[in-house]
Amino acid sequence: MSRRAYVIGVGMIKFAKPGASEDYWEMGSKAAKAALADAGVPYADVEQAMVGYVYGESTCGQRAVYEVGLTGIPVVNVNNNCSTGSTALWLARQAIAGGEAECVLALGFEKMEKGALGSKYNDRAIPVEKHAGVMAKVQGFTSAPAAAQMFGGAGREYMWKYGTKRETFGKISEKARRHAANNPYALFAEPLTLDEIMAAPEVFDPLTRYQCCPPTCGAAAAIVCSEDFAKKHGKAGAVYIAAQAMTTDYASTFAEDSMMKMVGYDMTANAARRVYEQAGVGPADVDVVELHDCFTANELITYEGLGLCPEGGAEKFIWEGQNTYGGKVVTNPSGGLLSKGHPLGATGLAQCTELVWQLRGQAEKRQVKGAKVALQHNLGLGGACVVTMYRRD
Amino acid sequence: MAEELRFEGKVAIVTGAGGGLGRAHALLLASRGAKLVVNDLGGGRHGGGKSSAAADQVVTDIKAAGGEAVANYDSVEDGAKIVQNALDAFGRVDIVVNNAGVLRDQSFRKMTEEDWEVIYRVHVLGGFRVTHAAWPHLIEQGYGRVIMTASAAGIYGNFGQANYAMAKLGLVGFAQTLALEGKKKNVLVNAIAPLAGSRLTETVMPKELLDVLKPELVSPLVAWLCHERCEETGGLFEVGGGFVGKLRWERAEGQSFRLSRPMTIEGVAKAFPTIVDFSRSTHPTDLTQSMGPVLANLPTAKGKGGNDFIDVDLALGHELTPEPSSYDERDLALYALAVGAAKDPLDPSQLKYVYEMAGEGFSALPTYGVIPAVNALVKMTASGQQAPGIHYGFERVLHGEQYLEIKRPLPTAAKLTHKAKIKDIFDKGKNALVVTAITSFDEKGREVVYNEVTTFVRGAGGWGGDRGPVQDVNVPPERAPDAVFEEKIPANAALLYRLTGDINPLHADPAFAKNFGFQRPILHGLCTFGYAARHVLEAFAGGDARLFKSIKVRFADSVFPGETLKTEMWRESKTRVVLRTSVVERSKVCLSNAAVELFDEPLVPRADKAAAPAAAAGAPAAASAASPSREVFAAITAYVAAHPELVGKTQSLFGFQLSEPDSAWTLDLATGAGSVTEGAPGKSDATFVMADADFLAMVRGEADAQKLYFGGKLKIKGNMMAAQKLSFLRDAAKEAQGKPAAATAAAPAAAAPPAPKADKPAPKAVAPAIFGALEKRLAAGPAPAGVEGAVFQFTVTEPDASFVVDFSKAPGAVRSGKADAPTVTVRVTDADLVSLAKSEVTPAQAFQQGKIRVTGQSLLAHALGFLAGLA
Repeated sequence: MSRRAYVIGVGMIKFAKPGASEDYWEMGSKAAKAALADAGVPYADVEQAMVGYVYGESTCGQRAVYEVGLTGIPVVNVNNNCSTGSTALWLARQAIAGGEAECVLALGFEKMEKGALGSKYNDRAIPVEKHAGVMAKVQGFTSAPAAAQMFGGAGREYMWKYGTKRETFGKISEKARRHAANNPYALFAEPLTLDEIMAAPEVFDPLTRYQCCPPTCGAAAAIVCSEDFAKKHGKAGAVYIAAQAMTTDYASTFAEDSMMKMVGYDMTANAARRVYEQAGVGPADVDVVELHDCFTANELITYEGLGLCPEGGAEKFIWEGQNTYGGKVVTNPSGGLLSKGHPLGATGLAQCTELVWQLRGQAEKRQVKGAKVALQHNLGLGGACVVTMYRRD
Repeated sequence: MAEELRFEGKVAIVTGAGGGLGRAHALLLASRGAKLVVNDLGGGRHGGGKSSAAADQVVTDIKAAGGEAVANYDSVEDGAKIVQNALDAFGRVDIVVNNAGVLRDQSFRKMTEEDWEVIYRVHVLGGFRVTHAAWPHLIEQGYGRVIMTASAAGIYGNFGQANYAMAKLGLVGFAQTLALEGKKKNVLVNAIAPLAGSRLTETVMPKELLDVLKPELVSPLVAWLCHERCEETGGLFEVGGGFVGKLRWERAEGQSFRLSRPMTIEGVAKAFPTIVDFSRSTHPTDLTQSMGPVLANLPTAKGKGGNDFIDVDLALGHELTPEPSSYDERDLALYALAVGAAKDPLDPSQLKYVYEMAGEGFSALPTYGVIPAVNALVKMTASGQQAPGIHYGFERVLHGEQYLEIKRPLPTAAKLTHKAKIKDIFDKGKNALVVTAITSFDEKGREVVYNEVTTFVRGAGGWGGDRGPVQDVNVPPERAPDAVFEEKIPANAALLYRLTGDINPLHADPAFAKNFGFQRPILHGLCTFGYAARHVLEAFAGGDARLFKSIKVRFADSVFPGETLKTEMWRESKTRVVLRTSVVERSKVCLSNAAVELFDEPLVPRADKAAAPAAAAGAPAAASAASPSREVFAAITAYVAAHPELVGKTQSLFGFQLSEPDSAWTLDLATGAGSVTEGAPGKSDATFVMADADFLAMVRGEADAQKLYFGGKLKIKGNMMAAQKLSFLRDAAKEAQGKPAAATAAAPAAAAPPAPKADKPAPKAVAPAIFGALEKRLAAGPAPAGVEGAVFQFTVTEPDASFVVDFSKAPGAVRSGKADAPTVTVRVTDADLVSLAKSEVTPAQAFQQGKIRVTGQSLLAHALGFLAGLA
């Protein structure tokens, strides 16, 4: 029986636009210090550090952690595309669960460049070439940003299947901005009307500009520990990880000529199913969710992947307001990637931070009242998906 | 997550909770975990007496059910005590339900001031005092729910309850404002208008109704409005007998009066039906929305002014109903003579304006462009059309200025449509200037001439409005003129000119003219205008009418026929000539501030341009020399001559009206051996109206007549069936291609450079054929599955076309154009439509690839398989 992992400290810095941030090590060390302060634990107690980032030379993790302390502990640099942050968290939980450590730092940061994601190394195979091949076969290439074509294509597939309106996708952005208005950490906190979202330039049908998350710089961190460690530090009632699963691509990603499958629908669905099984708690019991809304289209299909609504039911779920305050479950109270921003390495830990605050009742204006069960979904193309359930007893 | 809504840890005050509604509210809230202060004075329903029994009993009931409650016997007028009681007993207050009330029903005539006062004190002042005492606690803790109990009597009025109605509606306004003030701090305030059998109503309602109107059917709404999950605030609800519904305000569209005019009783009376008309209403929810119509009225309300003669706001921009007119060679020749052309009947450069068979090619004097436009304007006015807000008669009006601009060369005969609009109104102090713009279009909708008629309205100015441009324009320079023309006007010139349309007796009737203060009839200002323009043409354009672009003049003084005009001209640039025309005999300037603009090169219809140099270089100058179709008609001539049997087979006369460049042809396959002649037939069985390039493409087999027709590029006037007999045209064109030398030998344009090609060949539209085939398929049945009742709008691009496939009636219909309310709209390029019709892509693939863009009921796109196999 593996040991339960507690999240006794979280912290993040306010995200910034590319060019407007500090360097990665400054952002990273500030987030780590904030999480340690939140936990009330000295860095000397940290036995390992899992540090995630996507863009940067090797050992950036050490550079950032060394600002916090030089205790010679193992520092592991983690890269798993957009799910990098939650992969670091997954490693931290695994170290605790397996009894390898009592207290681990999970840290993620990212310093991004302006513009849509692209590849840095052009003298070798791009890792998502097989995914891109599926897209080329199914819908060809356009001059739109590649990620927008992939997730937008998944949106098209869903639209075709269920006759979904374009505005339904726009509605997700409208909600994201509305939620973000209450989040001092969000980069885009000005509310947008559905009309404004729909009138924005089209990036790739059905996605308009306001339905695509922007490149962002930022950092976030969590202190993960064992039950004994938590008790010893007076954190017996802290938030804990009730279940967690990581999946990578299945054959269906490449075999079914399906854009939804290509962008990881089955990774999500399988990770979620395993989490619900481990926790013994189903989607109906979830109060609050931070999920990977890199594009509105992905939030929409993820509702179904996570079982928050029945397959084909997302449109109704959205227009009934079941995804926001007063509905069945509040999705992305932080404003999500769309409004808060998406620093690839930091996102998974920023999601964790938000959910820990929610379960502690510290989310202020955006507090989901009485939140007891929280779910996190973080997905990267290439691919990896981490789904985590948090609870507080 | 459908959990029970609980009130754990919340403290609620319910006033008047000893019975009826208040008791039901208290019991329900307590049963869900709230701690209750049960307030009741224990008085009678009319406000007399006091007893603790009622409140105590409710507290006992709550406790018996396991709840927590304390009793309070204070009057709501001592609201602070009630709130203090809550703080003492439970340490906080979260919910205030203002429910306590009394009645003093009395017809208004009998109502005493005390009746009024008691009701006010208990309902309004009591509600104020309880809420006011609780308010700071609610705001500070960032949580609170307040209920005001209003009544239908207040909303709608009720006999004998003037006092009660006053109080109840007062509470609604009270609640609305508290809702605004509390919202930010999560203190939410709502009002209910309950209908329940209670102490207050048991005397006035029948038993059967009272049985239904149980207080328990009101309290669940109150409890929900008090729950932390409920975010409603500022609402007013009718509730009772199992019904719950929210009320809101509705405002008629109403009438906005122009603030620049006095607002009169009569104006209100006249607009009253609109003021009370709710057919286009709004539902304002706050003061900003309430102010909306006023704010919207402000920009226009100020107005541009006006007076008894002119209401600028009404008149400016008004468009009169378009007026058609036509002219032919005879009108042009008459006009040219009337403005002094061809005084030398042997001068070919003048003869071309008056003689329709002139060797150089008959053409219009460009200033003729004013005639149809101004005549049309006169006709509009004479037929009673008047812009709103114009209230002056002809007697005040003088033709002040005229502007004419040639947009396309004037055809030698044309049917025009004139659109007139009040373009500007200027206040010149004592007088006013009204500028009417007239745009004249040909039958293809192309703008031919543009005119501005500036009328000077005597004594109609002075409203303090826009004075318009004050700078004098087209002022002659100091230097000597570059050219001077003098020309004597025949004594009968006005009598001739009036035949062009302006038959005002002022120009013909000596007695009439005298009455207007003229010693004899005066010349038309536009006649002088025509003379002056001619002078400029002669002096600076070598008499070439095609170089004339525009003219602007001010009519400065009258001219009498028989006087001599002197036009002084200054060439200010290559294309601009300033002029001044005066009467030599009286040394009076009659046209001032005048200028003519010339074109750099002759104005010819756009498609003619490439051919123009050839014409200038001395090639035959026939009007349609540039028509690429000329060769084809030469070939057809040869073909008809070689196939005399065509006449017997066809027995029809066809017309071709081609554009870009314009030409007209008659193909006579009805009489004799058949013939091809240039020019429009007098009468035809069918006339084809199309662009020259499309005609060529059609006879060369590059474009299908059916597709051109569906695409709107070919119009057929007359018998469409006769058109089917024209299939031989292709054979004619083929024979011509096979024997190029023979075919072109007959063509006069053979020596000219190759016929101009269109810059970009227009993509050939296939959509019309696909939809044509669909129409046939549908007619043959059966209807595709899953589309019953649906109306598909196809918006085809590259090239643009629209088609409607309407399944609202079996077996479905196809037409070009737009549907009023399509069920689903499919946007697709012509090429992608072909891919679908050829089944090269499935509808699903096309959608995924962005080749079709679907809006509306997009699932219907799954049925687009009905296009498969159509190409």
